[in-house]
Amino acid sequence: MKRFAFFPGCLIPARHPAMEFAIRQTLPKLGIEIVDLEGASCCPDPIYFKSKDKLAWLAVAARNLSLAEDLGLDVFTNCSGCTATLSETYHLLQDPDLRAAINKRLERIGRQYRGTSRVRHIATLVRAEAGYDAVRQSVVRPLTGLKVAIHYGCHLLKPSRIMQVDDPNDPTLLENLVAALGATPVRHRNWYLCCGKACQTDQIPANMMRDLLGTIAQEQADILCMICPTCFGQFDHGQMKVAKEFGEDFHTPPIYYFQLLAFAQGVPYEQLGFERQRFKPECLCRYQTGADHGAKSARAEGGRP
Amino acid sequence: MSIPSDQPEPVVRVNFDFRRELARKVEGNLASYCYQCGACVGDCPAATYSSTFNPREIMLKVLYGLGEELLRENSVLWQCVNCYNCHERCPQEVKPVEVIISLKNMLADRGIYPEAVRKIIETFEQTGRTTPLGPVIDRQRERFGLPPLSPVPMDEIRKLLEPDADQGGFT
Repeated sequence: MKRFAFFPGCLIPARHPAMEFAIRQTLPKLGIEIVDLEGASCCPDPIYFKSKDKLAWLAVAARNLSLAEDLGLDVFTNCSGCTATLSETYHLLQDPDLRAAINKRLERIGRQYRGTSRVRHIATLVRAEAGYDAVRQSVVRPLTGLKVAIHYGCHLLKPSRIMQVDDPNDPTLLENLVAALGATPVRHRNWYLCCGKACQTDQIPANMMRDLLGTIAQEQADILCMICPTCFGQFDHGQMKVAKEFGEDFHTPPIYYFQLLAFAQGVPYEQLGFERQRFKPECLCRYQTGADHGAKSARAEGGRP
Repeated sequence: MSIPSDQPEPVVRVNFDFRRELARKVEGNLASYCYQCGACVGDCPAATYSSTFNPREIMLKVLYGLGEELLRENSVLWQCVNCYNCHERCPQEVKPVEVIISLKNMLADRGIYPEAVRKIIETFEQTGRTTPLGPVIDRQRERFGLPPLSPVPMDEIRKLLEPDADQGGFT
């Protein structure tokens, strides 16, 4: 097993524990051991706190990275926002003057940033350390015929000079991860649009969300797959708002990739917390075989003609 | 063709105090390299969906030192979606989104934030997290066999948040 420090951030452990559960279920099956990072804080977020004070933002991020350095491990994140903050910190602190200034702050708490722990988003970690074949081999319930629209979001890919994850104009990472589950990835026309969370007006995110969901619906995708809890929140809640504001119910359930992976690896639908979503990926129930059916889904199937 | 007027065109005066203050923020000085090509505009979602947001125009205002048009309540800066497309496209590595965030740092120095932003910043400064902990969250976690979340060592975070004595800057 390869060991990596887990930086869970704020949103997933507090708001979406089902996503954390799925991560802890799936990574060991891919040969990745999760090492918890004691004493970590918010990354801090690249939208709000970074807007207040970039220098303090870097100092707190450097402290988080120094916790992984103490363990001698690379760090992985499960949220694109955390990935943005920690990767950018790693990049910016290669500048000696800036690193010295940040280390002067860290001296106040007896810490030092050394730049020895690399930062990786969990999707990139799986690609590099396990590989798509290992993902395919871990699947016990191939999702054959499931049409999965992909939402990359922004901070996994950009700025590409810093993130170094994939070609931001033609990425393949998530398509490959979805295809490894036996499902069919779908790239819709507005795939490069943003979830809109950072924007502090109502109209821009609402119109953007409507266009996004519209093109996903045109492709007749069953679900919308993503790797960021902020994007997830926007699509689950935002979809409800779009339905209300524009009178258009696209009904495309969003799903975090690692919950989809957990399901494909055999974790029962009922254990994955989907009941808390506004738009539930019930289309997955058709892939549960008789042996692993919960009573609930058995009833649902019995009701079909 | 416009009719020539007797009045001379008002002269744009660059406000260097504003430029210097911006340059002290991390990556705040990058707008100096902007040659106004507009590559940042085409893929900008905020510019696509709003008639009042244009990253090239924001960079031009910075070059002219027109800080007062950007640093005020309900600033257009908050329409930015932080997608980093402009950072990706800029041939001069101006990183317009980083200049915009540096301008937001200047807004924060003046105590001007949208209410939703202020709330999240305060939650972080008080708890070290953007999502506060509580028994409801611990119960949710328990359902998935996950342990309760431990508090962040706030004595350390508070010390890191205190500004430097010398107020030095970086470009």
